[in-house]
Amino acid sequence: MIRSKQIELIRLGVTNLLGYPLRTFLTTLGVVFGVGSVIAMLALGAGAEQEILEEIGRLGIQNVIVNSVKPPETNKGNEQRSWISQYGITFTDFKQIKSTVPGLKSVIPVHMSRKQAWFGSKKVETTIYAVQPEYMSLFDLRTAMGRDLTGVDGAELARVCVLRAGLLKSLGIFGDPIGLTIQLGEDQAYEIIGILEDDKFRGYAREALAIDSSNSEIYVPYQTILGRHGTRSISRSSGTFEATDIELSQIVIEVTDLDNVLIVARMLERIFAINHEDRDYDIVVPLEALAQRRKTQQVFNMALVAIASISLLVGGIGIANIMLATVTERTKEIGIRRALGAKRHHILAQFLTETTTISTLGGVLGILLGLGLVQVLIFFTGWTAKITFNSIALSLSISMAVGIVSGIFPARRAAYLDPISALRHE
Amino acid sequence: MSTDDVVISLREIHKYYGDGEIRLHVLKGINLDVKRGEFIAITGASGSGKSTLLNLLGCLDRPTSGEFILAGRDVAKLNDDELSTIRNEEIGFIFQSFNLISALNVLDNVQVPLLYGPHVTSTKTARCRELLASVQLDHRLDHKPPQLSGGERQRVAIARALVNEPVMLLADEPTGNLDTKTGDQVLELIERLHAEGRTIVMITHDPEVAMRAERTVNMRDGLMFDVERP
Ligand SMILES: Nc1ncnc2c1ncn2[C@@H]1O[C@H](COP(=O)(O)OP(=O)(O)OP(=O)(O)O)[C@@H](O)[C@H]1O
Ligand SMILES: [Mg+2]
Repeated sequence: MIRSKQIELIRLGVTNLLGYPLRTFLTTLGVVFGVGSVIAMLALGAGAEQEILEEIGRLGIQNVIVNSVKPPETNKGNEQRSWISQYGITFTDFKQIKSTVPGLKSVIPVHMSRKQAWFGSKKVETTIYAVQPEYMSLFDLRTAMGRDLTGVDGAELARVCVLRAGLLKSLGIFGDPIGLTIQLGEDQAYEIIGILEDDKFRGYAREALAIDSSNSEIYVPYQTILGRHGTRSISRSSGTFEATDIELSQIVIEVTDLDNVLIVARMLERIFAINHEDRDYDIVVPLEALAQRRKTQQVFNMALVAIASISLLVGGIGIANIMLATVTERTKEIGIRRALGAKRHHILAQFLTETTTISTLGGVLGILLGLGLVQVLIFFTGWTAKITFNSIALSLSISMAVGIVSGIFPARRAAYLDPISALRHE
Repeated sequence: MSTDDVVISLREIHKYYGDGEIRLHVLKGINLDVKRGEFIAITGASGSGKSTLLNLLGCLDRPTSGEFILAGRDVAKLNDDELSTIRNEEIGFIFQSFNLISALNVLDNVQVPLLYGPHVTSTKTARCRELLASVQLDHRLDHKPPQLSGGERQRVAIARALVNEPVMLLADEPTGNLDTKTGDQVLELIERLHAEGRTIVMITHDPEVAMRAERTVNMRDGLMFDVERP
């Protein structure tokens, strides 16, 4: 059997390190904490990126969403203002998109209105979303209980609704809600046919779909609202009175081909720019937002890792420091090895092997620490964190590199010692 | 005598230590020829430059001036790596203070020269054990040097010196730290190695020890003199 000298060198290096377990352990600490925090930062960064992906991905990267927004107050002089504020997407826009923009899979209209919902004596402020069944399936709004809205509901102008589970409690409904009737707005009775699970949209997605954070959406068939109530909406709350006439609150445009999403978005921008003088609309392109947010997040992640790397640097300096002391301490040994035929590169390799062993050991411990840290963070903060194979491989290579870099100076010093003076060293 | 038979040839070797005010002239023109297979003793007062000379012979150090031909090669023309290879393959060192690595056990100590040779083969590692057996230390393989007596340490050092089967042994007061009896055992070992055909240069301050060699030279004031045998 031929045992390779490299293995022998590593074995002897480890033997040497094990000779001073406490010192070796203390020397690794810097790298342990450094790698631990790098792992944790990378995991949190990857988690945040994944969250963005899920959040925006939920909107569908093949969709473009247009929302009506209240335009900034314009000073159009004495022009008589209607008591009803009229703005936003119009049916004309809708028709124009349908007839002129090519390559669309579907164009879904949405109408929203603020209304009060009553059950018995309980009253809750809600937002009514008049939608088509496609909307529900496009955004994965599946009922956890009861049934989904169907095309038939719309065709019959049925007074049925699907609501958020969160609303049940505020309305004082504790038993089986399916089949119960609630009052929406002007004494219209709607039958509850399905219950949605609690909020699934977060952050950006919620904003893009114009959903507020109160978790109080009620979904009803689009035709029912349009056919029975029209587009006017009056909301009264604590003394104020607001009437609006928004023809369409939102249009969701589903593009057939992913490659065309940006082109469609540009076309929509042009249509709206021509049709609307005021900026009373907002075009949301999830695909663009995704790229943008990911880029921002990645820069942020890099900054986090850079900060975490400072402790790695300190760890490296620690190793270099201890190694310099070790070289002085082991001058005699170096002399002996040189006398027995060790070349300079052998001495160099020996010390580099030791520093690399120390730092790799530190790296392994650091990875374990980092994994633990991430679990603790997840437990206490509920943040999303994702440990990737790449982050582990990266940390391990960084820690090995730290060993080599921090070892070079002491190892060179050892290798260039004069053999005779080293041998005479006491 | 053909030049092939001369392993070591020193001509007008000078060695200075230090610089300027503290410049020390230690070797002041040494001439010496050592034949292949010869056993030579170097005596002299403390500080006379014996170890300095031996370090030059062992290629651990270079003379300030003068010519040193080692087995046909001009040592002045060799670089650090080539000198290291010579130390590793052709020379075995035995030191007065043993110079074992205390962190390594007996077997690992003996194996150190193998690390710096061409490759470690199982025959070579087996040889380490044989050598330790031949110095009656095969039962102490796992012990560390601090756990050994002086004589035992010197025997480990001798085994280590022989691992790469050097043609030349350089011993600097090999018995200096040993009592007469253990010193005698070490000397018998050295004589046996000489009988096997190795060239041996041994420093000693003890005239009786020097008598075990074939020839003795004496160093005084940086110069070398032949010693007449009775
Ligand atoms: N590296 C060095 N730097 C400066 N001076 C040195 C060095 N090595 C040896 N010397 C000096 O050179 C002189 C000769 O030293 P060397 O070790 O060769 O003596 P030695 O004959 O071996 O003595 P001993 O019998 O005591 O071992 C001494 O005066 C010593 O102080
Ligand atoms: Mg000496």
